[in-house]
Amino acid sequence: MKHAIRGLLVATAMAVPLAAAAQTEIEWLQWFAAEDDSGFYSALVEEFEAANPDISVKLVTQPFGKVRESIVTDSAIGIGSDVLGLNMPWTAEFLDIGLLEPLDAYMGADGNSFDVDDLVQAPIGKINGSTWMVPLNAFPFVMHVNKGLAEDAGFDAPPTSWEELREQAIAISGLGDGISGLGMPFSSQPPSNGPILTFLPLLYANGGRIMDGTTPNFDNPKVVETLTFIKELDDAGGIAPGAASRTGGVDLEEFIAGRSGFLISPGVHSSAITSRNPDLDYTVVRVPTNTVAAYRVHGWELGIAASSDKKEEAWRFIDFLLSKDVNARVAEASNALPGNLAALETVSMDAGDIQKAQMAILAEDEPVEELRQAPSAVGSWSIMTEEIQSMLNGDQSPAEAATNVQARWMELIS
Amino acid sequence: MTNTIRTINDRGTPYLFLLPCLLVLGSLLSVPLYKVVEYSLFDNVIVERNPTFVGLQNYRDLLSDPGYWSATLNTVIFTLGSVIGHIIVGTGLALLVNADIPQRAQTIFRSLLILPWIFTAVVVALNWQLLLNPFGVVNYVLDTLGLISEPLDWLGDPALAMWSLLIISTWRGYPFIMVSFLSGLQSIPRELYEAAEIDGAGFWGKFWHVTVPQLKPVIYGVALLDLIWTFQLFPLVWLTTGGGPGRATEVLSTLTFRAAFVDFEFSQAATAAVSILVISAAFTVLYLRNEAQKV
Amino acid sequence: MSRIEIRDLVKMYGTQQALYGIDIQIEEGEFCVLVGPSGCGKSTTLRMVAGLETISGGEVVIGDRVVNGLKAKDRGIAMVFQNYALYPSKTVYNNMAFALQMAKMPKDEIHRRVQEVADILELRPLLDRKPGALSGGQRQRVAMGRAIVRDPEVFLFDEPLSNLDAKLRGQMRAEIKRLHQRLNNTIIYVTHDQVEAMTLADRIVIMRDGRIEQQGTPEEVFHDPATQFVAGFMGSPPMNLTTCKVTDTGLALGTANVACRVPKRLSPGDTVVFGIRADDIRPNVEGAAAVTVEAKLDLIEGLGTENLVHFMLGGETIIGKTDGRAKYTSGQTVSLALDMAHSYFFDSETGARIR
Repeated sequence: MKHAIRGLLVATAMAVPLAAAAQTEIEWLQWFAAEDDSGFYSALVEEFEAANPDISVKLVTQPFGKVRESIVTDSAIGIGSDVLGLNMPWTAEFLDIGLLEPLDAYMGADGNSFDVDDLVQAPIGKINGSTWMVPLNAFPFVMHVNKGLAEDAGFDAPPTSWEELREQAIAISGLGDGISGLGMPFSSQPPSNGPILTFLPLLYANGGRIMDGTTPNFDNPKVVETLTFIKELDDAGGIAPGAASRTGGVDLEEFIAGRSGFLISPGVHSSAITSRNPDLDYTVVRVPTNTVAAYRVHGWELGIAASSDKKEEAWRFIDFLLSKDVNARVAEASNALPGNLAALETVSMDAGDIQKAQMAILAEDEPVEELRQAPSAVGSWSIMTEEIQSMLNGDQSPAEAATNVQARWMELIS
Repeated sequence: MTNTIRTINDRGTPYLFLLPCLLVLGSLLSVPLYKVVEYSLFDNVIVERNPTFVGLQNYRDLLSDPGYWSATLNTVIFTLGSVIGHIIVGTGLALLVNADIPQRAQTIFRSLLILPWIFTAVVVALNWQLLLNPFGVVNYVLDTLGLISEPLDWLGDPALAMWSLLIISTWRGYPFIMVSFLSGLQSIPRELYEAAEIDGAGFWGKFWHVTVPQLKPVIYGVALLDLIWTFQLFPLVWLTTGGGPGRATEVLSTLTFRAAFVDFEFSQAATAAVSILVISAAFTVLYLRNEAQKV
Repeated sequence: MSRIEIRDLVKMYGTQQALYGIDIQIEEGEFCVLVGPSGCGKSTTLRMVAGLETISGGEVVIGDRVVNGLKAKDRGIAMVFQNYALYPSKTVYNNMAFALQMAKMPKDEIHRRVQEVADILELRPLLDRKPGALSGGQRQRVAMGRAIVRDPEVFLFDEPLSNLDAKLRGQMRAEIKRLHQRLNNTIIYVTHDQVEAMTLADRIVIMRDGRIEQQGTPEEVFHDPATQFVAGFMGSPPMNLTTCKVTDTGLALGTANVACRVPKRLSPGDTVVFGIRADDIRPNVEGAAAVTVEAKLDLIEGLGTENLVHFMLGGETIIGKTDGRAKYTSGQTVSLALDMAHSYFFDSETGARIR
């Protein structure tokens, strides 16, 4: 009994100082930890909490497909997180709803751990006069190559042009036994983002765009040319059958399992590929070009919720994540490049071949990012998906598909 | 006077105990219900801080949208097809499981056959996507049997997608019917079958003249319940086809979800949701009336 | 109308044997009642004749056909079930017509037959009702009508009256009897009620534990039981059966000595089961074979026309009968006469009759 009372007193005494340092809890909603199974992000949070005893961070992890939905609904009912993992294509619609806090004041303040000029520039470009997000990491869209299959089909170098891509994809499909040349995920299943995963990188490598400033401009010759390339490649058997029901997840899995020759997707997928199938004879190259060496730039972004009442604390956490040393580790963990390019040196020191290949693309090619300003971006992917499905099914020509996407997209934003 | 008070006390006490539960349930049901109806009368709810009242405009827009009507048609096809599939497969399997086989085998079959019901929609969707993949088992078997000359994209071909979805939905939903019918079957007196056998009824004779009439009350109630569930079924469709290809398998529930979470058109979504609510409520009234008759 | 022959019928349920070689011959138009306690195998035998149970051994012959391999519907039988087994969703008319519809008989012929049988059974006003709207007796009649309509060679009844109350049961019993007289079909009728068996049967087959104990006319099995079991089963109250010792002068029932003649096979000192019916124990009856005993009345059950008197004799309770008008009180000592001309002796081990 005596012991118990003493124990209680000791416990109370110990609890007091902790309670006195009034801890603020902030929430970090993201999908990053869902794509990492090493526990890297919870360790990162602990590291931050150790350095900032007055702040605790609650890691809220959801799959990528769910995060956008959660940000909107949580904010609508007033339980939104403070720090948000963001995706550039969501920017326009989030700004419409007023979900994001402008970051200019925080970025301009003294005492930040990074230099704004060192950040990857695409995400921080001003819209409506402000910056809304900062880059945690960055990666180009690339083409993942199964070198083994390409060699089996008689090619000793990955394709660099559309012509070579066509030739190799068809030849690899010809190997039979469930092997396909190029995987293309045009399923309607959410997030139904096949077109921006595969079509846009090809379009950019063809020197095309789908936006004219902030207005959709899907109905143009470059788009039609790219769609025609896809349609003809599909007709020739170069694309994995069942594209209209193939999800992005399946597309990635098929490549990991060694059943597709090529996969066009974010460079960040390389970590999943190498960790899940270390035996794959695998490399990364720039998306084959048709005149222009350009890549779709992408990354994991961070922002602060407009509705948060702990914005100061939220920014301190973001500042921690962007600091050179931490950011370098994030880049390594996600097999991407740092959002704070000051960390590039650290990263490149022990970069593997795959990461070096991505750095080369970033260094040499033209970055393209136009979804950040695209209105109803996510809705437009569904439209593109449906029209491309219809085109592949032979119900309409590439030109009709382009016209229909444009018309429906304009209707959506009207 | 005292008597009246006592009566109220006596009669009221049981309701008093129910009150907390009724309050919680009532508010959990009525608040969202009220909100959805309210949203459907405004423009740009959630997205705008101060949405404007537009009366029935959203309903006029919805009813004049061909997409809504095609989704309605798909919903009817999907619902009726699923319920019919559930009943046919569920009844057939219930009859098989109820056959004169050893108790142990019966238990094993019953447990195995109930499995599709236990899996979550995600697992069902993933499994069937793999099965129906152009390189999947289904195509392999059909190809080996010589029934098809080249692999079919079951979930990606607009002509096949709804059929595939119906097969999946049938697979997923028959256990409920099977279990309900099984208990119904087991309560049919054996003597009725024996009488029918002596009267010269074969398998189908016994099925139509003994089994079906005896199961009729169960069939009607269960089919209505199934209809209500299937009518608003969302996850299976969304996770399997996402309403595609194109809008070939778009049903009212996926249309609603798409309006809300893809396009952020919450008012349109609320309007579509109210239309689902009205139809479901009609079925529910039918069901409740049927149940009340049984008592 | 057909004769039925059951030859060495055996039923096995797995390793469990239910019937041990049953042999019964039933003549054309005969009313045969299978009677016995529950579990004796009477229903199993009936169901094997009907084709509802497989036959593990032996043969069933209906008419001149061995029906072992035939389906129930092809055996020319009709059956009335204990719970009637009427189709709940069909009207009385359709219940009766069902078998004929299954046989694809022309509609007007079906109509004619159903109406005819409905007249016999007075079911006409009920033809449009469903079984749920009928009383127990009406259902019973519909069940019989359903059987009669088919004009079968053989009727099978499986405890058809056991769900009715006593009064209705008496009525229906008479109705079945009349029906048999009118239609003259061959009938196998299963019951556990020996009164039904006695009143209905031309031939009674008494079964026990999967074997036949005795078969014969009601008179035979009642007055000339072959075994102790039959003696104890038939008749109400059951025959008095007590184990006793044979003495030089007669029998020793417990402590009481009864002077009487015993079968020659028995010698003094043997243990034997002595049986006598209550009817043959009367107060003060004079007669050549009568043995008089003094007994204290233990209990008196008045039945109106007669009284059952329970008394103790050498430590055993024995039941006798008196005139309904006789006045006795319990505790009274009376002198009772046992009519030894109608006494029975059974082997105390095998239960076989000792004549």
